[in-house]
Amino acid sequence: MIDLIPLMVIIPIICALLLNILHGKNKTVKYFAIIVAIVVPIIPLLANYGLHYFGGHVPLIENSGLLSSLPSYISQTPIANFHLAITYSFESLQKIFIFFFGIVAFLAVFTSFNEMKRSSGAYGFLMFMGIAAVIAMLLSDDIFHMYIFFEIAALVQVGIVLASNTEDNYEAALKYLILGSIGGPILLIGIGFLLGMVGSVNITDIVFAVKNNLVNPLSSVFLLSFILIFFGWLYSAGLPPFHTIKSSIYSKALPSGGALLQAFSVMVFVSFGIAILRIFSVIPYSKILIIVFSALAMILSITMAITQTDFRRILGFLAVGELGYIGLGFGIGTQLSVTAGLFQALNEIIITALLFIGFGTIYYLTKVSDIRKLGGLIGVYPKTAIMILIGGLAMAGVPPLNVFQSKLMLIQSALKAGIPELAIFMIIMSIVTFMTFTKVFHSLYLKPKPRDLELAEEGIPKSATISIAVLLIISIVLGVLFKFITTPIFNFVGGIL
Amino acid sequence: MIEYVVMIIAVLGCVLALIQRDLLKAAILTGITGACIAYLFQFLLAPDVALTQAIVGAAIVPVFLALAISKTHRMDDND
Amino acid sequence: MIDTQLMALLTSGAFIIIGLFAAIFLDNIIKKIIGIAFIEEGANLFLLTLGYKPGGVVPIFMPGMDAKWFAANSAYPLPQALVLTSIVIGASTLAVMLAIAMVLYKKHGTLSTSEILGDK
Repeated sequence: MIDLIPLMVIIPIICALLLNILHGKNKTVKYFAIIVAIVVPIIPLLANYGLHYFGGHVPLIENSGLLSSLPSYISQTPIANFHLAITYSFESLQKIFIFFFGIVAFLAVFTSFNEMKRSSGAYGFLMFMGIAAVIAMLLSDDIFHMYIFFEIAALVQVGIVLASNTEDNYEAALKYLILGSIGGPILLIGIGFLLGMVGSVNITDIVFAVKNNLVNPLSSVFLLSFILIFFGWLYSAGLPPFHTIKSSIYSKALPSGGALLQAFSVMVFVSFGIAILRIFSVIPYSKILIIVFSALAMILSITMAITQTDFRRILGFLAVGELGYIGLGFGIGTQLSVTAGLFQALNEIIITALLFIGFGTIYYLTKVSDIRKLGGLIGVYPKTAIMILIGGLAMAGVPPLNVFQSKLMLIQSALKAGIPELAIFMIIMSIVTFMTFTKVFHSLYLKPKPRDLELAEEGIPKSATISIAVLLIISIVLGVLFKFITTPIFNFVGGIL
Repeated sequence: MIEYVVMIIAVLGCVLALIQRDLLKAAILTGITGACIAYLFQFLLAPDVALTQAIVGAAIVPVFLALAISKTHRMDDND
Repeated sequence: MIDTQLMALLTSGAFIIIGLFAAIFLDNIIKKIIGIAFIEEGANLFLLTLGYKPGGVVPIFMPGMDAKWFAANSAYPLPQALVLTSIVIGASTLAVMLAIAMVLYKKHGTLSTSEILGDK
């Protein structure tokens, strides 16, 4: 079943293309999209762990017949170990992430049917293209391949914002795209330096070259490539100085788009983060740099979130701030902390999707996003309000929900690594996040309803309620059964560090 | 020797494109730069890439720019 | 004689710096986009120059060539394959940016970024 690995990327791409061929037949498109969206999380469950070589080109060292026919300056040197083809590596981490990402993507697609008049068209295409792109990024063991899908994902993110029909979405999209087209080539130049030093863009080969002293890890070129790739990573993940534009992108998208965009960002963050950790952890200050930028992201986003009055902006900033925890886990750099960071990333995909879709229902109902003009909505829809409240509590790290487990692991790993300051910092930031969330929740639901507030729509779409409920159940289940997730990730991290 | 001349033309075209007030002229200069880059690719032993760059850099990009300019505003008013 | 490879690298550096300057400091959207196109071209030129071999041959194996001689003298083909993809990505990004610029021109009646993005 190892042949299933490329299907995880191919099926969403084919679906994206077919959706527009079926344009006009609304029902067929809906069923087709739902079936494909169900298939996406099922494939990783069926596939076996292993490596997939495109074109069947295995490394020379595994192909003894060909190796013996080659001259000794190839067969006796490290070149024989290098990967000739684009390689997809499918391990426990990829299995877990693609499964849960697939579920979130399914719910986003499901919710989007109520937001758009037609289910085919650009929006559906972009969603499936983005799903394929980030899955390919996570699977890929080839840093240039990652760059290509990163560019596709960036274009898709812009496209989702453009297709959302919110006010001022074109301005935010243009800003994001201009920054992106500066960040993309800079990342490419960083990859170019690595290619020039090693002669291969495969991450395993680069790590092999660094470990066997084929490349001097202290040379200035290696350092320069680290800085350039790190800069590209900051852009792709929305860490400072890009946190403002990232959060404004989130707030300009539809709820399903926002959920999906945050999931894209987290997946891109994780895939590039793992690559950086594997290649550049030999550089002495690399981990400190990651910690500094992650902590900055948390501080800046939270302070920006407190001052905003548009609840979609607040949510966007909170989502970016939560990314900092993953970065801290990567930055501390022990096996436990990286596991905790990855688990936090998984939880964040789920919880922020819940909050984006949940708060999206409020905008759907009232068409108002200013928290000063809203209030008293708990009397209208108490069930949704309670589910969103539990989601917010989960985001802040209240036991026994899933984020509590990952934040606890992060704090423990910081203490074990001998950095208690970071542990205290994380606790404070959790409390501030919780405060911000409570403020938003209070002004949306609990404070008395303003007299001039009128409901624009009759009821919350059923698909949104179902999505919120499913995400909440996943969050509770993950909080209780977290061992089933963390143990495989822990073993995976042990393999790459 | 000709490759050095092409490099200088490419960089000059770059600078000239950015100091034009007339955006249409800037688009055409972008095309000249793209063509120079295509020649450099050919010189750097990559003929297939040079073909692609010649089409994209010297034809498609300037045409896109010219189309966008014809739909918007021809002059850059701020300089 | 000056080293051609070094000169090509310097050219790509000049492209990237000029492009960065334009993308950051110029006000007109179209000029910004032209600058971004220059950054992309510079990055492509840089990657391709890495695979260049002075006095080498094009990395296409013709019948009748000696394999050992070919391996010793051909340019490195991997960057060429990468650049091919990168050119296409650059062109598509440019097209999307121009489309957004056209929509924004219809809405605001100007191409100046400070006027379009300034009020936020």
